[in-house]
Amino acid sequence: MPLLTMKDICKSFSGVYANDHINLSIEEGEIHALLGENGAGKTTLVNILYGLYEADSGEIFWNGEKASFRSPADAIRAGIGMVQQHFSLVRNMTVLDNVILNLPGNAAFLKRKEAGEKFARLAAAHGLLVDPGAVVADLTVGEQQRVEILKALYRNVKLLILDEPTAVLTPQETVNLFQVLRSLAGEGYAIIIITHRLSEIMEVTDRVSILRSGRKVAELDTASTDVHELSRHMIGHDIDEMPPPDIPPREAPMLRLDSVSLERKRLAQPLHDIRFSIRKGEILGVAGVEGNGQKELAEVICGIRRHTSGTIFLEDADISHLGVRPRYEAGIAYISDDRQGDGLVPDMNITENLALRAYGKPPMARHGLVDARAMSKVAAEKTQEYQVLASGRSGAATPVRLLSGGNQQKLIIARELEEGGKLIVACQPTRGLDIGASEFVHQKLRAWRDAGKSVLLISADLEEIRMLSDRVAVLFGGRVVGVLTREEASVQALGLLMGGVTAAAAEGAGA
Amino acid sequence: MTFSNFMEIFVKGCPLILTGLGCAVAFRTGFFNIGAEGQFYVGAIVTTMVSLYAPGMPPLLVIILALACGFVCGGLWALIAAILKARFNLSEIIVTIMLNYMVINFLGYALRSFLMDKAANVPQSEKIDVARQIPVLVRASRFHAGILLALVCVAVVWFLMQKTTLGYELKAVGLNRRAAAVNGIPVVRTVIYSAFLSGGLAALAGGIEVLAIQKKLIEGISANCGYTAVLIALIARNKPWAVLVVSLLYAALQVQAGSWQRQSGVPSSIVNIFIGLIVILILAKDIVPYFRRKEGGSNAS
Repeated sequence: MPLLTMKDICKSFSGVYANDHINLSIEEGEIHALLGENGAGKTTLVNILYGLYEADSGEIFWNGEKASFRSPADAIRAGIGMVQQHFSLVRNMTVLDNVILNLPGNAAFLKRKEAGEKFARLAAAHGLLVDPGAVVADLTVGEQQRVEILKALYRNVKLLILDEPTAVLTPQETVNLFQVLRSLAGEGYAIIIITHRLSEIMEVTDRVSILRSGRKVAELDTASTDVHELSRHMIGHDIDEMPPPDIPPREAPMLRLDSVSLERKRLAQPLHDIRFSIRKGEILGVAGVEGNGQKELAEVICGIRRHTSGTIFLEDADISHLGVRPRYEAGIAYISDDRQGDGLVPDMNITENLALRAYGKPPMARHGLVDARAMSKVAAEKTQEYQVLASGRSGAATPVRLLSGGNQQKLIIARELEEGGKLIVACQPTRGLDIGASEFVHQKLRAWRDAGKSVLLISADLEEIRMLSDRVAVLFGGRVVGVLTREEASVQALGLLMGGVTAAAAEGAGA
Repeated sequence: MTFSNFMEIFVKGCPLILTGLGCAVAFRTGFFNIGAEGQFYVGAIVTTMVSLYAPGMPPLLVIILALACGFVCGGLWALIAAILKARFNLSEIIVTIMLNYMVINFLGYALRSFLMDKAANVPQSEKIDVARQIPVLVRASRFHAGILLALVCVAVVWFLMQKTTLGYELKAVGLNRRAAAVNGIPVVRTVIYSAFLSGGLAALAGGIEVLAIQKKLIEGISANCGYTAVLIALIARNKPWAVLVVSLLYAALQVQAGSWQRQSGVPSSIVNIFIGLIVILILAKDIVPYFRRKEGGSNAS
């Protein structure tokens, strides 16, 4: 008898099926992957299981009995735990306090000593090493994830759901996580892992369920499949391998950072002595575990933050003292990783958002007066050229918060890739996009490069970095710890640098 | 309703329109100016002083000069909060409220010392020369030229918000200050402009109230319109034409409250209770989407 059976689960949001008669069953000791593109319905399905959503129809059987979880508390009580993509930890409390937070058995006085013993037992048994007395805010992302897993185990769950658990980890941390997951499965825990990374599925899971547009299109034994078959089911066709860049970059540098530092008090991640240059017609990838200075670097180059020492040159002109707008006018465009926070004004419409950079100049404005007709014309041209699909009849008057992530990103790209541009700083440009939209973004970046312009591609997705970049710089702790050529940039080499192991240190350890 | 009562709606509405516009301009940019009350009194004080002490020149010129000086000083007064906000990130809400207390108490001091009418020996200024007052336009009522000025202001502010690049900047900064900065909009400059304009409009209301209604400076002439303005801007969702309509409706209720009390003995407090109820009901429109969301309307995956 399976531990969990979900039968004919349906859930629709405003008439669109997010889950369309989905069946799923999980045995004890099984690691089961839910694979699918963004919007395929993976998260909806587990949210129904975890009591966050209520299914429109369908049944859930837990341990052979019909069950319905009305809230996460219900699900946890029954034995289902979930590690969300964005952790639900209280950052300024200790690890132990986070684990025992809101336990059903908590009385007016906490029994920290008893709890500490149980915590230590669990941590040791599963190789989840983390200091119970440490404050969560001081932990690495990998350690925080361990706390989340321990939190679930402490509540005696039988089934553990992990939503995109490797998105924030270094390759080495990922290996570590997979060891933990396998040992848990060996003890009879069932695990559901949501991912869109094919190689990880092949590495760690027993079975795979593939969702596409809310339907389950296949369920396969991992042992008898391969990445090509998985991708065919996921997107309906094979992944097109992009050809390697055929036009070599020119020698002339487009952007040069000379010993640039950003060192202020109370800065989450300062930058130290950054030196590199991007040539014309080159894509320079910036790899690194998130939070190692990527965003700060992007903002320093775009002028959103002012660096505290060093010099930035754009085509040999010193632009260090320029603000955001003059730098944009000099040719530096920016695709932020935070579409709704940095890139767009969600409550303004498509036309207005496309005008964010150039609203004050002809043709959009004359003598301080906005030319609404010219703005609409620009919007009409750009939405057509970049295939921005606005749902509903309002067209370019649609507030952009109602657009899908892919369409929002297209809008930003349509605005930023201007004729006169020279360099684009692209920060996580395909995050949260489905494969179709990602390919669109990649094509645009490549076309930009092939036109002799430059791209700084900051991404947490190593596949993306390796596929597009001519060279790869690795950031660790706010420093550039290495710049590798396309040939040198293997996953292994990048992974070591991302973990802060420099070539010199690696040799030292080897000797 | 009598004719003079009808005209009284505009008289009572005039300061509400101007202070309401002031709040709308500031709120639009995300600058929560709760200081319209204080800025109103800055305008009233400055306008009074210019009107009383300006040397001999054509009366119309004195009126314009007095109102203009009031506008500028009210704008500068609001700038204090804007600069503290931009430079040190102090809450403009707290700062503008504190500035209110400072002006209102300064007014009390001024009216008992250098501005006091020596002849009357009560806390009020001398009466402003009749020629330097804002004239009444409609006989048998108090409908004065300042009301027309307020209507012009509605049109000007609407034009500014809808048709100018500054209006675009105000909107973008108000709706997402961070994105505005990331895309190179001069956020600090925009907030400064909107604070100045906001304070100036509230001060203009004060100046007009002195020159058209009271004809001298006394305490309490705002009738709290600076605070009512916050409410009006909120209900009007910061739209200039809506500010006009809401202000006049509010004024109509106030005017009617007076005559109901006189004629049928309905306490005017009832009207205020009624207004409170209406405001809550208007704000309650946000309750419906809240329940819709709870049913599960967010997007998948």
